[in-house]
Amino acid sequence: MAAADYAIELRGISKNFGSVAANKNINLNLRRGEILALLGENGSGKTTLMNMLSGIYPPDSGSVFMDGKQVVINSPDDARRLGIGMVHQHFKLVDRFTAADNVWMGKKDSGFLLKKDRNKEIEAIAAEFGFELEPTKIVANMSVSEKQTLEIIKVLCYGAKIIILDEPTAVLTVQETKKLFDVCRKMKESGHSIIIITHKLNEVMEISDRVAVLRKGEYIDTVETDKVTKMKLTELMVGRKIELNIDRPHMEKTKPLLEVRDLCVDSDEGTTAVDNMSFYIRGGEILGVAGIAGSGQKELCEAVAGLRKIKSGKIVHKGRNLVGMNAKRISAAGIAMSFIPEDRLGMGLAPSLSVADNVILKDYSDTKGLMVDRKRARSQAESIVKMLNIATPSIDTPVRRLSGGNVQKVLLGREIKSDPDVLITAYPVRGLDINSSYTIYDIINEQKKKGVGVLFIGEDLDVMMALCDKIMVMCHGRLQGVVHANKVTKEELGLMMTGAVSLVNVKADSPAGIARDSAFTEEEWEEASDMSEGEDK
Amino acid sequence: MRFHLVRRSEVRLIRKICLYLAGIAVSFIIGGIILSSLGINPLSYYRDMITIGLIGNRYPGKSVEGLLKLFVPLLITSLALALAFKMRFWNIGGEGEFIAGAILAAVVAFKLGDSLPGPVVVLLMCIAASVSAGVIGLVTAHLKVRFNTNETLMTLMINYIMLYVIKYLGETKADWNFFLREDSERPIFAKFPENAIMDGIEIGNFKLLYTVPAAILIAVLVYFYLKSTKQGYEISVVGDSVNTAKYAGMNVYKITVRTIFLSAALIGLAGAFTASASGTISTDITNNVGWTGVIVAWLSKLSVPVIGIVSLLISVLQYGCQAASASYSQIDHNFADLMQGIFLFSILAADFFANFRLVRVHTAKTEPSKASDGGSGKDV
Repeated sequence: MAAADYAIELRGISKNFGSVAANKNINLNLRRGEILALLGENGSGKTTLMNMLSGIYPPDSGSVFMDGKQVVINSPDDARRLGIGMVHQHFKLVDRFTAADNVWMGKKDSGFLLKKDRNKEIEAIAAEFGFELEPTKIVANMSVSEKQTLEIIKVLCYGAKIIILDEPTAVLTVQETKKLFDVCRKMKESGHSIIIITHKLNEVMEISDRVAVLRKGEYIDTVETDKVTKMKLTELMVGRKIELNIDRPHMEKTKPLLEVRDLCVDSDEGTTAVDNMSFYIRGGEILGVAGIAGSGQKELCEAVAGLRKIKSGKIVHKGRNLVGMNAKRISAAGIAMSFIPEDRLGMGLAPSLSVADNVILKDYSDTKGLMVDRKRARSQAESIVKMLNIATPSIDTPVRRLSGGNVQKVLLGREIKSDPDVLITAYPVRGLDINSSYTIYDIINEQKKKGVGVLFIGEDLDVMMALCDKIMVMCHGRLQGVVHANKVTKEELGLMMTGAVSLVNVKADSPAGIARDSAFTEEEWEEASDMSEGEDK
Repeated sequence: MRFHLVRRSEVRLIRKICLYLAGIAVSFIIGGIILSSLGINPLSYYRDMITIGLIGNRYPGKSVEGLLKLFVPLLITSLALALAFKMRFWNIGGEGEFIAGAILAAVVAFKLGDSLPGPVVVLLMCIAASVSAGVIGLVTAHLKVRFNTNETLMTLMINYIMLYVIKYLGETKADWNFFLREDSERPIFAKFPENAIMDGIEIGNFKLLYTVPAAILIAVLVYFYLKSTKQGYEISVVGDSVNTAKYAGMNVYKITVRTIFLSAALIGLAGAFTASASGTISTDITNNVGWTGVIVAWLSKLSVPVIGIVSLLISVLQYGCQAASASYSQIDHNFADLMQGIFLFSILAADFFANFRLVRVHTAKTEPSKASDGGSGKDV
C-alpha cells in the first residue's frame, strides 16, 4: 500500500525519558476509516507514543507522515491543526462550565463573544454520531461516561479526523462500553480514523479492524483482527505463551469472619459514600467487590480498616465490634486485618524508603526501646523477598525503584506476614503486566487456602468472575446484591453496577449481605449498636 | 534550536566533584575580575582568604575562634533545618527562631546573670532559648496540621516579626528596656553580665568555647536520631507520604509537632550559643544562618555528615572573605558578602548540572505548509 493511503504513518519514532527508552524505533500506520487497537501491557509505551502524536512532547527522533506528506508536531496546537484529537484517560474539562462552553472555550474560530448557537452546534454533532448529551449540562453534574462523551464531541468539534482514545473503557460499564463502540463505528463510517488504546483483549476483538502490538517500548507487529486469536495476541503482547486460567480452589465454608451491617460512611467531600451496606466474609472465601470506579469502594475499605470515620453501622470481627477503633487500635487489639490501599505507593508504602524499612511499617513500634529494630526488619524483608520471588537489587533499595509487580509483592508480603484472617485488597493488579497479575492471583489464592477471608476490590469483571467465590456489586455506595461468581453473567453484573437491577431484597427471608449463621444473635446485634452509639457519646 | 532538561539517572561521584571544582574555579575567576578592577591583586586576596588570615597573624588563635563562632550556629541551624526538611516541612523561619532564642537568652542573662553562678545562668539561657523558639515552631506546626496553613509563609513571616521585635528592643530608649546600656544616650545593646558569657577551655592563646563540642555532640545525636530511632523512622515516613504514615497508624499530628518543636528549639539554642559567646545581642546576630542553613541542608542532601563538612567549608569561606577584606582599604565586609554569594551561586549551579543535563531538541526540517500557516496558528 502506498504511503499516501495512510491517514497517518510513523517511521522510526524514539523517545527517551532519562535513561529509560519509552519508545524505540516505532513504525506504525493507520489507514483511513479504520479502527486500530493499540495493544500492550502497562509500561509498553502506548500512551507515550500517542502523546507524541498529539503534540504533548516531541519525539527524540523519527518522522510522522500524514497522507504521504511529512509533518512536524511540536505542540498540541500543531496536532489540532493537523486534525489529530486525543481523549485522555484523565479528562481535561472545566467542572463549572456547561458542556457547550467547554467545547466553545477551546475553539479557534469561536470569536470573542459567547454565541447563542453554540448549544445547537453540539446538538447537531451529537445527533450525527448518536451521542446522548445535553449541551447545557454542567460538567460537575455529569457521570464519567458523559464526561467522556463530551471529550469526544470536543475533539470532533475541533475538526479532528484522527481520534485517539486512551483506555476509554477503563471507566465504563459493560453497557456504556457498548454505546461507546457504537459511536466509534459511526465515526468510522463517516471517514474518521480511530486509534484505541487498551489492554482488554475482548474489546480488541470486538471493535478493531487491525491490532498493533507494542512490547517494552518496541513495535512488535500489526495484525488483522479477524485473522488472529486472543491467545496469539497475548503471546505477541507478553512475548511468550501464557496460560490464561485463574484457579478457584474449593474450600469448606466456615462461619462468617467479618460481618458488616448497615454501614454508612461519608466521603472526603462530606457526601454519602457508603450507604447502608451489609455484607459478610467467610474464611476461605474471596468476596469480590464490583462497581464503577468511585462507587464507594475506597471509602468502604478505609472504613473497615479503621482509616475513615464510620457514621453509623456495625463491623463485627470474630464477635467484637470494630466501630470506633482506629487503625492502630484495631491491630493492637489483636485483630489481624490487612488492607492494601488502592494507591500502592501513595498510601501503602513509603516510596523513598528501602524494602526493609517498608516491611516494618506497621509493626516498627512493637519492639521495646527507642531504636528501630533493623535486624528484624532485614530478616523479615529477606524472607518476604525469598517467599514471593521479589526482583530487587537488595533489600536496601528504595521501593520506588522497583517495578509495579514487585512493589505490589512487597506490599502483599508485608500484609501476609502478619498472618491476617481477613485480607482486604483493592485493585491489587492495577498497572501490572499479565505475568505479575497471575502471580498476585496465586498469592491471594494461597491465602484463601489457608482459611483467610479475602475482600477483593477489582475492576476487570472477567478476572473477578474467575477468581472470586462471590461478587458483591456496589452502585453509588449502595449494595446491589451478592451473587455467586460462577452463576452470573457479565451483562447481569453490568446492569447491577449501573443500578438498573437490584437483587438485595429478592428473597424475603434472607436479604443480601446478612449471614444466616451470624456470629451474633439478633439481640447481640442490637446490643452492639447500643454500645457503639454509647461510645460515640 | 531548543534545549530541554533531562534528569540524570545516575550521578557519578567523580563527575560531581569535577563539577563542584569547576564551579569553585568559575567563582574564583569572576571574583578575580572584580578584584583586579578594584586594583587589588586577586592572588594575594585569595591567599588571605583561604588561610583565613592565619599567615602573618600575631594571634592565629583569634582567627580560629572567629571561624568557630561562625561555624557553630551554622552547623546547628543546618542540622535543625534538615530535621524539618526530612519531613518535608519547609521551615524557613530559621532567622526568626534564632532571634527569638537570642532574645530570651538575653532576658535570662540580664535578669539572672548577676545573682546565679556562671554555668547555671548559661544553662538557663539555653533552656529559655530552646523552649521559646520551640514554641514558635510548635505553633506553625499545629496550624499546618490542623488547618493546613502554608508553613512556608508562616515561618517566613515569623522571621520578619522577630526581626522587628529585636529592632524595637534595640532602638527604644525607655525605663523598662533592660536590654540597653544605661550609661549611653544612644540606644545600644548592653553587654551581658560576666556569668552569662560562654566559657571555654584555654589552650595557650586560643580559647575553645564549650559551644564547639556541644555542637559536634548535637550533630552526632541528630545523626543517630534520624538513622536509628523510631522517631527518626517516623519522620522519614511522614516526609515520604503522609497517607502512608496514617495508614500505618502513626499519629501524624504528634510527629509533626514534635519534630518541628525540636527543629526550632535547636535553632533557638544556636541563638543562645551565639548571644552567650558574643556577650550581647544585636539586630544582625543571626549572620543569616537561617538562610545559609537552608542552602547547607540542601547542598548536603540532608545527610548529617555532609552537613558537617559543608557548614565548615562555608564558614571558612565566610570568615576568609571577611579576613581578607579587612586588609584592603578599597573593600569592606560587603565585598565579603558579595564573594560569598558568587561562590554559593556557582556551587548551586554545579549541583544543578550534576543532576541534570541539557539536551538539544531534534527538530526535523520545518515543512513548508506548516511554516506558511504557522503565523495564524500561534495566536494563543
